[in-house]
Amino acid sequence: MNRTRWLYSLGVLLVLGAGPLDALARIKLTTLPVRERVEIQLDHPQIALVEEERIVPLVKGVNQVDFSWANTRIDPDTLVLRILPPLADQPLDAKVLSVSYPPNETALVWAVAASASGAARVRISYVLGGLSKDFHYRAVADRDEKTLNLAQFLRINNNANEAYDAAKFWAGVGERFDKPLGLNETKEVQVGRFASVPVRKTYTTHPVEFGYLDRAQDKLNVPMHYVVKNAGGALGKEPLPEGKARIFQDDGKGGAAFLGEDRGKFTAPDDELKLYLGLARDIAVRRTVDRNERQRIAGNLYRYDVTLKYEIENFKDTPVTLDITESVRQIRDQIRGDSGRDPEWQLGDGSLRSPDPEKSDADKLLFHVDLPARPADGQAQKQIHTLRLTLNNEW
Amino acid sequence: MTSNLTVRWLLCLFGLLLPLALPARNVDLATVPTRSTVQLTIYNSEDLTLVRETRVVTFKQGVNPLQFSWANTLIDPTSVELKFREPKTGLEMLDTTFPHDKPQMLYWNVQSDANREATIEISYFTSGISWAADYVAIADADEKTLRLESFVRVDNRSGEDYENAQVRLVVGTINLVEKIAELAKVPVGRVKEELGREEYRDLRQKAARKMMAPPAPAPASMAVAGAAYDRVAEMEAPKEIIKEGLSEYFIYTIEGTETVPNGWAKRLRSFEAASVPMTVEYRYRPREYGEQLTRLYLLRNDAASKLGTTPLPDGMLRVFRANRDGLSYLAAQNLKYVPIGDKIELNLGSDPAVVFELLRQKVYRDNLWFQIRGGNLYRKLGEDGFKLELDSQVAGWDEHTVYRQKIRNYTRKPINVQIRREYAGDVVFRSRLNPTLHDFQTVRFETSIPAGGKAELDYEVIARMGYNQKQNRVELQTGDVKP
Repeated sequence: MNRTRWLYSLGVLLVLGAGPLDALARIKLTTLPVRERVEIQLDHPQIALVEEERIVPLVKGVNQVDFSWANTRIDPDTLVLRILPPLADQPLDAKVLSVSYPPNETALVWAVAASASGAARVRISYVLGGLSKDFHYRAVADRDEKTLNLAQFLRINNNANEAYDAAKFWAGVGERFDKPLGLNETKEVQVGRFASVPVRKTYTTHPVEFGYLDRAQDKLNVPMHYVVKNAGGALGKEPLPEGKARIFQDDGKGGAAFLGEDRGKFTAPDDELKLYLGLARDIAVRRTVDRNERQRIAGNLYRYDVTLKYEIENFKDTPVTLDITESVRQIRDQIRGDSGRDPEWQLGDGSLRSPDPEKSDADKLLFHVDLPARPADGQAQKQIHTLRLTLNNEW
Repeated sequence: MTSNLTVRWLLCLFGLLLPLALPARNVDLATVPTRSTVQLTIYNSEDLTLVRETRVVTFKQGVNPLQFSWANTLIDPTSVELKFREPKTGLEMLDTTFPHDKPQMLYWNVQSDANREATIEISYFTSGISWAADYVAIADADEKTLRLESFVRVDNRSGEDYENAQVRLVVGTINLVEKIAELAKVPVGRVKEELGREEYRDLRQKAARKMMAPPAPAPASMAVAGAAYDRVAEMEAPKEIIKEGLSEYFIYTIEGTETVPNGWAKRLRSFEAASVPMTVEYRYRPREYGEQLTRLYLLRNDAASKLGTTPLPDGMLRVFRANRDGLSYLAAQNLKYVPIGDKIELNLGSDPAVVFELLRQKVYRDNLWFQIRGGNLYRKLGEDGFKLELDSQVAGWDEHTVYRQKIRNYTRKPINVQIRREYAGDVVFRSRLNPTLHDFQTVRFETSIPAGGKAELDYEVIARMGYNQKQNRVELQTGDVKP
């Protein structure tokens, strides 16, 4: 079987006067309906759906519409041809009769029946491989690090081997936009702009998650984070997709200094986007187990009294809040080994008595500790905090 | 188009000279009667197609040799059968010969009691022709109804062009003893020794022919159908696919005839249903959908849902949703056979607009029992007269874990959420959530959350451990949960 075809990277050919498939002539006349409109839907996490609208001239009777996609990665099983309702002044009823797939070709042939000669508007949609997207963010914090301007960018990588002169894009978040997309092009578009977003700068210790700066000296790492809540103002209406975030700070001289970057996680509305910028070396925290006593209740059943001591120094000239985070299970494992059971605990009368209820649970404890600024005379005040825990029913 | 007519059969005229014998070796003269009708019955569960063709042949009085050959095709030589359709009497097949030096060929000797024209039917199995169903579902923007289109796609890789064939598709799983594609490669004389089974042919043919109860249409009616296809109609309508039940199977007959050349595939619409009512449900069922809250479209294959005319054969189903400007791609899944009246569940994966979090709020233990000195004596902690023996061991306890299931709905519609949680061992599930037991160790509860709203579902799981474990099941208890 031999068929002549105009090799178009992605083409719709209309074969005039065509009969049944086996009557496909070697010499044929074809019209090339152009794209009227293209929509590229990127709202699915992995898949790009392209929808093109074309006006196809049909003759009364059965027409053959050839669709070919040489050298592109169209998934032919996802091809859907929809014939749009006809215009009032041109009542043309058209229906798809069948689809034929020729051997060894990236093409298919729709048999379309038309009630009269005229033009039909059709929509062809398909999943296109090689068209990927990712998000990234750029944030500029103001001088006092209280607010930042957050810009959200969409990057579209076109390795699909097909160009779209004009396409309407939708990425699932943000506004729809029109852009051309050339062959092998990468296009970057700003899809979200969030001005004066309140930002919280946090200093956190967590022996399990962030580890020690110096294990031998019991000195904890104190990472600094920018925390942005996906709520309020223009935020909070949609989730923030995951993506790399670069943070800059207004340097007061009309420029911006780079503070650091982190990979932002998917953030649902009302959740916090936490960006790790780097270690705060001006806050020193020493954590020691100050006391560990056990009391036998009965048989091999014990109760443990544990006191953790934190010696904290703030060498900064500004007051800060330190978030001290602990995993009770990790404390229990450290003082008596893992029993395989979840610890059952009670808070004692240490200085750390009221954990943040929103950020604490059966295992995790988070305390906010206010640290005063280093006084002008230079000597940082050492603060001592204690966390007393009773571990019940351990054996 | 160059028709690649490799299955041919020859009426050998020189049979006159060599009655009841093989035709001459090297000098052949043959007439080639063309196919009058051809019917394909294609099975999708196995690589199997039953072909029935009729041809009109002129017989002379006496013995007539017929040659049937199938070079370069995938026909099972053991399955070829000859029948006399018209007239039914006066013709007799005397024998069948598979010549040793000519693979993919056989001879029949036919005894005719008069000079006559006859319609004969040849049937055989071939591999290489397959069909598959696939579906496209397009939900409307507010997800109240969807449009379901079902297609059948016939793929011809058999090496033979079948022109103007009546196409029948069998939905169901049949049993085959041997693969047709393997049989097609084996010379017929060695089938038995190679496959070592005497009854394979009977078994297989019985299974397949059971579905052949309705006879192939008579040549006359086929001709009419073919003509109807060629006629330029006022407005050609998509072909009907007639669905009939047969034994454990379903047969789809495509209206009229189809031509599927070798190497080609053709896809036809099997049915289309617009405005099929559907509901949206969110389910947490780790065993079925993994560790995520999964969004589903639920519908039913019944008449009330504008479906239910046919079971839905296995096939790939792609789900789209119409949005403001076009379609959104939601998911693709392999739909398993859906009987008439059964439910259809379309798994769309997780929904980023619904946040589903489980918070463990508190853990504590009570009801501690001790085993005294490793013996058979057990005492409860706190019982009168119980001394703190050094050598008594904790042997049983109740482990309480208090959970809060948080769900936030950022969609623009209220949602229904159904949760299943499985617990091994002797467990009490305490809550005010009106749960039910899905099975002896799985708790099921549900809630609905308004648009933009959230839910906090508290429950306590009490696991009786060690010596305290007396059962292996979940017990539901109504009670307050104190975090």
